[in-house]
Amino acid sequence: MQYALFYAEGPDALPYVPADDNVGEWVDEVVARGVSEYGERLRPGHDATTVRVRGGEVLVVDGPFSEAKEAIGGFDVIDVRDLDEAIEIASKHPVASFGRVEIRPFVQWPGAEPGARIVPEGFAERAPRGRRYLMLVVVDPTGERSDADGDADATDDDPEAWVREMDGRGVRQFGEVLRPPSDATFVRRRHDEVLVTDGGFAESKEWVAGFDLLDVQDLAEAIEVAAKHPMARGGAIELRPTWPFDVHGDQVARAESEADAWARRHEPAASEALEGVSR
Amino acid sequence: MGTPPRARRVGGPRGSVPLTPTGEDEPGAGAGDALAPGVAGALREAYRSEWARVVATLIRVTGDWDVAEEAASGAFERAATTWARDGVPRNAGAWLTTAARNLALDRLRRRGVEAEKVREWMAMEEFSGRADGPRDPADVVADDQPAWDDRLRLVFTCAHPALAMDARVALTLRTVGGLDTGEIARAFHVPEATMAQRIVRAKRRIRNTGIPYRVPTADLLPERLGGVLAVLYLVANEGYLASHGDELQRLDLTAEAIRLTRMVVALLPDADEARALLALVLLQHARSAARVDADGELVPLPEQDRSTWDADELTEGLELLAHAGGPDRADSPGPYRLQAEIQAVHARARTADDTDWPAIVDRYDALAGFADSPFVALNRAIARGMAFGPEQGLDDLALLEASGRLDGYHLLPAAQADLLRRLGRTEAAAARYRDAIALARTAPERRFLERRLAELD
Repeated sequence: MQYALFYAEGPDALPYVPADDNVGEWVDEVVARGVSEYGERLRPGHDATTVRVRGGEVLVVDGPFSEAKEAIGGFDVIDVRDLDEAIEIASKHPVASFGRVEIRPFVQWPGAEPGARIVPEGFAERAPRGRRYLMLVVVDPTGERSDADGDADATDDDPEAWVREMDGRGVRQFGEVLRPPSDATFVRRRHDEVLVTDGGFAESKEWVAGFDLLDVQDLAEAIEVAAKHPMARGGAIELRPTWPFDVHGDQVARAESEADAWARRHEPAASEALEGVSR
Repeated sequence: MGTPPRARRVGGPRGSVPLTPTGEDEPGAGAGDALAPGVAGALREAYRSEWARVVATLIRVTGDWDVAEEAASGAFERAATTWARDGVPRNAGAWLTTAARNLALDRLRRRGVEAEKVREWMAMEEFSGRADGPRDPADVVADDQPAWDDRLRLVFTCAHPALAMDARVALTLRTVGGLDTGEIARAFHVPEATMAQRIVRAKRRIRNTGIPYRVPTADLLPERLGGVLAVLYLVANEGYLASHGDELQRLDLTAEAIRLTRMVVALLPDADEARALLALVLLQHARSAARVDADGELVPLPEQDRSTWDADELTEGLELLAHAGGPDRADSPGPYRLQAEIQAVHARARTADDTDWPAIVDRYDALAGFADSPFVALNRAIARGMAFGPEQGLDDLALLEASGRLDGYHLLPAAQADLLRRLGRTEAAAARYRDAIALARTAPERRFLERRLAELD
């Protein structure tokens, strides 16, 4: 069964201690076990750009759709035998020891080919052509449906058309729909104890319903792609640049060298990027 | 106003058997065909002893919880007719499992599951005997384990940590215990529709999130067993605390917890903490008749008539603790053993004055090392007050009160009042009783505290 693991600080996060970060060992183990399909770290929440389309107009804001503590800091797609193995793997990830790991099963479509992978075989070794963004598709149950008023091109809500277009352009690498947050499981590790909780929080909040990995030229193209997604009209699309690092490197030195990344936004301001889209 | 007679014999017949809804006194009344008393009794006995086995096996074979439960219910209905006509089969469990399996396969076929797949399941069942079902990769990994009883898979799955606690409790009582949704809803004071939805959601979550139907691997077993025992402990506690309700028909949750814990102990005989939990619940349940007087009023431990404690349950509880051991026996006692040992001290005391309070204090000291719980701290303070004098207890309680962790909990001022009363500090005691009365959550507790307050003068 395939799951997405999302890493976040969560409300009860402890301080991150780079010297305790053994992410290299974790990666080695999941690769050796053959359960990992692909994973990436994401740039900090302030480098997120959130895209909405309302009344035919593209609205962009700097920052994530959710609170900073809930913002996803990275993800993995794993293929394991069941939830117990997913919990075991999540509990060993360094983020579980200070933040929390969210385990979300993918939607299993009727008639889907058994064993079909979400991430294409060999994708992890493929070099990006442009810049990679994780595109989170966010449902907002309180958001009003702004139908395609004033937007003649938006024919319906079928994401299949969007998928075909973006696959054709070569910008969409892979993506899938997740089961709802009521099927999420949160894993934390505190004092060597693995804490497992069910994710059934109030569903009135906005929540991530699925994601796609984009490979685009720049933020402007990512916004253009995101704005075409049907969920940009009813919900929101969050764009997060990936942030690769050497998992086997010296994490203390890395953390020191990255201080500036945490201090300010490095992405272009969303409004500037939007001007690039409209040109 | 008398209280409903409480079941003294644990695990006695219950009224959940299909076609005998009115219970033992009027077999079959109002339920169509009258059943011969022998058949009705055999059915009830079979329901109690075989329900979990039949459901657990069918879940493994079909992978579908609803089909399994419907088929199990159907098998018991069929048994009512067939057994009345042909007599009770010698191996009722095997008869029921076969009947249920046939019903399940029928249902799956009608639902359009390809005949091919159904045949495959049947072939696997027959080929591999009862110990192995469809081979999923998980079973291959788990091959180093003994061939677990299906009921144990069911118990562990229902108590999986990825389910919310209320869902675990509801699912365990419904699927392992075979209680109907209405009974569980009434026991937990929620509308039946709410409970039904809780159970449906729990089953859906098991399927959607990929919670395995499996006994955890050896390295996970102690931790996951803790989760199973936590569910049973919660059920027992709910029964213990709510035992003076005013409803006439009430599910005896403690008796149900004892029945299910017995099953876990039988399935995992080496699990010391499971045995300790069974001992704990038995020793508490033994006092249930003495805890409430003829008028439904609460009788505190020192004033209980110890001759009315259930001797069989006391003996069984003490024996479970005495015959500890087995390979899983921890070097130091776990939290359930410590709590059971506290109950054992009470059980052994012939009068309240005989109570070995220092021994109880030792156990609470050890319990406090397991979990930083304000409730443990409260009980420890009371025990220290009894062992070393009320002043000691009051000092401990003052610290606990200052921590603010039990704000609004009536038993904190009640404990202070009791120790002040023992010191003859009547005025201070009265003030704390009044605080406790204002916070008391059930009428019998409130009336008890009011009596104590009145007795001060």
